[in-house]
Amino acid sequence: MLTLSDVDPGIAEIREALLAGYRRPMPGVHDELLAEDGSVRPHWQRMIDWLAEIGRPGYEDASADLLRLRTESGIAFAANGAPDAEEDTLPVILTDQDWQTLEDGILQRARLADAAVTDVYTDRRTLGAGLLPPGLVYGGPAFAAHCAGWSRPPRNWVHIYEADVGRTADGRWVILGDRVDTPLGDGWLLSNRIATSQAFADPFIELGVRRLASHYARFQDHLGQMMGWDGRLALLTSGEKDPRFFSHAYFARYMDAALIEPADLTVRDGSAFVKTLGGLRRIDVLLRGVSDASVDALHRPGRAAFGAPALSLAARSGSLKIVNGIGSAVMAHRALAPYAHRLAQFLLGEDLLLNDAPCLWLGGARARRQVLDEREAWRIVPLNSRDALLAGGAEFGVTGGSGDGGDIETLLGRFGERFCAVQSPELAETAFWTGDGLTRAPWMMRVFASRTQDGWSVAPGGVATRVPASGVPSALGFGKDVWVLPGTDPTAPSVTTTTRLDERFAQAHLRRTGRDLLSRVADELFWLGRNAERAESVLRVLGVCVQRHLDGNRTDSDPDLLCDVIEIHAAKDDTLNGAARYRDAIHRLTRGEEISSVPSILQILRSGGMRARASISSESWRYIERLCSDRRWQARGALRQNAGLVRLIEDSLQALAAFAGSAQENLTRNYAWRFLEIGRRLERGVQIAAVAEQMAARAYPQEESRLRAWLTLSDSSSAYRSRYMMTVQPAAVLDLLILDETNPRSLAYQIERLESVLHELPTEVPYRRPEHRRALKLLTDLRLFDADALAVTDEDGLRPVLTEFLTRCLSDLAEISDLISRAFFAHADAPEALLSQARLPHDEEAAE
Amino acid sequence: MRLDVRHRTHYRYANPAAFSQHLLRLSPVTVPGQRVVLSSVNILPEPEAIDTHDDMFGNRVHVATISRPHDELEIIATSRIDRAERTALIFEASVPWEATRASALGLDEATPVAELSPYAFPSTMSAPDPAIEAYVSETFQPGRPILAGAQELMSRIFHDFAYDTEATGAETLATESFELKRGVCQDFAHVMLAAMRSLRIPARYISGYLRTVPPEGQERLQGADASHAWVSVWDPAFGWVDFDPTNNCVPGADHVTLATGRDYTDVAPVSGIVVGAGRQLLSVGVDVVAAPEADGPVPSGPATIRQMQQQMQ
Repeated sequence: MLTLSDVDPGIAEIREALLAGYRRPMPGVHDELLAEDGSVRPHWQRMIDWLAEIGRPGYEDASADLLRLRTESGIAFAANGAPDAEEDTLPVILTDQDWQTLEDGILQRARLADAAVTDVYTDRRTLGAGLLPPGLVYGGPAFAAHCAGWSRPPRNWVHIYEADVGRTADGRWVILGDRVDTPLGDGWLLSNRIATSQAFADPFIELGVRRLASHYARFQDHLGQMMGWDGRLALLTSGEKDPRFFSHAYFARYMDAALIEPADLTVRDGSAFVKTLGGLRRIDVLLRGVSDASVDALHRPGRAAFGAPALSLAARSGSLKIVNGIGSAVMAHRALAPYAHRLAQFLLGEDLLLNDAPCLWLGGARARRQVLDEREAWRIVPLNSRDALLAGGAEFGVTGGSGDGGDIETLLGRFGERFCAVQSPELAETAFWTGDGLTRAPWMMRVFASRTQDGWSVAPGGVATRVPASGVPSALGFGKDVWVLPGTDPTAPSVTTTTRLDERFAQAHLRRTGRDLLSRVADELFWLGRNAERAESVLRVLGVCVQRHLDGNRTDSDPDLLCDVIEIHAAKDDTLNGAARYRDAIHRLTRGEEISSVPSILQILRSGGMRARASISSESWRYIERLCSDRRWQARGALRQNAGLVRLIEDSLQALAAFAGSAQENLTRNYAWRFLEIGRRLERGVQIAAVAEQMAARAYPQEESRLRAWLTLSDSSSAYRSRYMMTVQPAAVLDLLILDETNPRSLAYQIERLESVLHELPTEVPYRRPEHRRALKLLTDLRLFDADALAVTDEDGLRPVLTEFLTRCLSDLAEISDLISRAFFAHADAPEALLSQARLPHDEEAAE
Repeated sequence: MRLDVRHRTHYRYANPAAFSQHLLRLSPVTVPGQRVVLSSVNILPEPEAIDTHDDMFGNRVHVATISRPHDELEIIATSRIDRAERTALIFEASVPWEATRASALGLDEATPVAELSPYAFPSTMSAPDPAIEAYVSETFQPGRPILAGAQELMSRIFHDFAYDTEATGAETLATESFELKRGVCQDFAHVMLAAMRSLRIPARYISGYLRTVPPEGQERLQGADASHAWVSVWDPAFGWVDFDPTNNCVPGADHVTLATGRDYTDVAPVSGIVVGAGRQLLSVGVDVVAAPEADGPVPSGPATIRQMQQQMQ
């Protein structure tokens, strides 16, 4: 086969330039890209040719594409919203043979991890035979006593397993860490793969990279078997503040699992239920993304009651299957490493296939002595992140220096069972992209395994990262996709090309979610709707003011008038006057910390959007994400140029309109959509009433300019002109913006929509619900007004009828909001711990 | 000795609680030296569901769920217990403490004894510090018989510490009360556990009761009228032997064992969560009286009541 480089000398040159910075591999250090003689390994040829074809600008484009795709799907955002600078976009390519060895080892390792955890909580044979030291199990906080010794324990604790693996310098795979407590990084793997395969579509398709879908299909089948007919699957996350939230949300959607938080769960009669609009719904299988320590408020007592109370009871009764079982942390991280060989022999009757990086458990005096004598060669790490504090408050994974616990020797003497010592082996290297071409660095990756109906399966691929000299990669740096090439074995199953996501979505549509909507999600959608409207209102007010200011028309840009407009949202500052007051208000709305400022509102909107993500379409989410992550709103000082601000406001309004349209077009008219719509209509009603009060509560001297401002704010100028073709009249404006039910920007339209959606909410009684009655009454009264009556002014130029009606409208809407929230949203009054009776005052006389 | 126990716990809430779940360890079980004749737990308002199971430490656990609004909760546990007098033990005849440690940790070719291992390591409430380590090393010299060492440690804690209900709280750690040299039964038990576990000697936390009214002519013991706590230590020949550092005695016929664990968190008689209750007012009363030898109804006479008022947050 001819590659491009053979026929095109230009490309061959670029190809050489690409590799110029890539030193020949150091003898004895395996290199993924180059063979020992310095030639490109055959399975990388196509990628290198492609890089040469597209050249640096082409790669930069593809790379930017990938980062944008990641950002849009939210992948790049951890809790702090900051993308990691260290991530590299160039995939790692592995041959089928490379992969086969690793896969076999991981399949065994997953079985081993499960067998070890399950044994610790059931028969304890490993302890009895002296294969696992008791201190490893009982010496730290990971052991979950409330999950041990059950009369009918689950057959398996571990159903999902992840490992951090590397290749040693001689090219052999080595285990760097086991992840069994709350793995669920699959969302990360999947979304990274989708982004990479789109950005690097040509080499991805031509190389025939093995797909992930069939792996997850097998896991889904296993879960299906666990759930039984008509079972419910949920993924438990601790919420958007968790750095892993993105992965949880993505994976939940992929697996068609309800994304729930501990507050959504309640345990009754030995079963776990989620609170939905239609009442309690039983959960049969729970993918656990909340760590052991904070998953069950009842069994891990403390002042703050984290987690779903009594969750382990539902598991104990057998009604709920938890993936992975509570207590799995006991074999997490490096606990298994020192004993993997003999446990594989004992529990599986097999020789261990993959070695661990050197690791010593420090519960024994001899190991402690050795590590202290060879201090330079070892890194001392806690087995459980909760013990990081013992090592002087250092971050997990960082060597304990001198902290509260005194020197390391004393610390290990006191709490040795909770620590181990690890060595970072010299690792193989792979290619990373730099601006000048390729460079090489040690690498490692995370791989993902899950249980199937008859064993285990490993997702063909992974997420890789650079390993710095310290041996501890950044937790968020795992961004390099790992491509596994198809084998040459003709009997191997053919590659499936459908991705699982499409199939899952197709299935999800067959089941109408209906009343299964979580109460918490209804709550979130309601507020998402309200906040989107609020953002729009603030942006429109800003837009009108800035535009008028720029136009410089004397009447329209009168600072007092502009102040009146902008103070619909900006708090009044009476210490200033005229232009200064206006500038100050603009400043506060565009940059301030005030709750009504655009940056604050966008932040609230984004955080609400993230929580509600699972219920809105990914397209809708992308519009919110694009709007809220627009860096121009964060840029300090850059907004001084008003023209730039006008453009920014326009862009933002467009994104909001796109979100509204997408929600309208893409959401089925189920309860999720209804709560979004209720929030939206209710908030727009509130905004219209507030604007009307500010703009038309009295007949001002420059009333026409004011009313035009209101028409612009309401995007109804052209509707007005087409109807009246004349100067602006108060009664006509009030008719259009308050009473006209055909104008989507009128108050009447909002109330009419609100009433009609409220009509469709679930009710247990034959009569209309209280919030519905209230809306119906408001709508009826509104319909009985006429515009002239509203526009009537008294001797002081005030409009008492209008003002009174607007006030009533605002209070009715507030009450409707309260009623909805009380009736439908699970009152996430957080559970509190009961007072402890351990201590009683020594006061004999005290009586009840 | 046959004893009747009545343990009443009462919560009053500022606001009606919408939902509550309670984990109760109020039912004594039969252990060497103790036979449970009868035992019951009554809860008002009546829970919708009660789940009962035994935990890994051998305790009987009830989980009660109440999902109707309620502004008070009463839990009354009654039991009738036969307690044996402790047979006299020759503490100096027990094995060296290192042997018990080896059994718990599986050291020196010793066969690990499964029931010891969980109790050999410092827990959150029983973690040691240098001061505690220095304190215990005076008693546990190499080769010291385990029970003799435990008795001496108990006696030292009894003499070195002041019984003081004001000095510490429910979540006080062993290191804190050790520094103060003050506390109540819970603190003394945690200090003794921390001391022994710093050497990896297995030791258990026992919650239970003391006879309220002492036999005529004897002094009333500290810790009656409420749940009590002490420690138990293992010797291969004698099994688990209890030591009460609050009263400097080996529990016998006047003590009732309620629950066993690694520290207080494993045995808390009543714990749980409540939603929407606001401020909680807790009162607890315990009565332990000698029962007529013939079986009869367990008297529910006036309890000695103590009260605790504490504002949440």
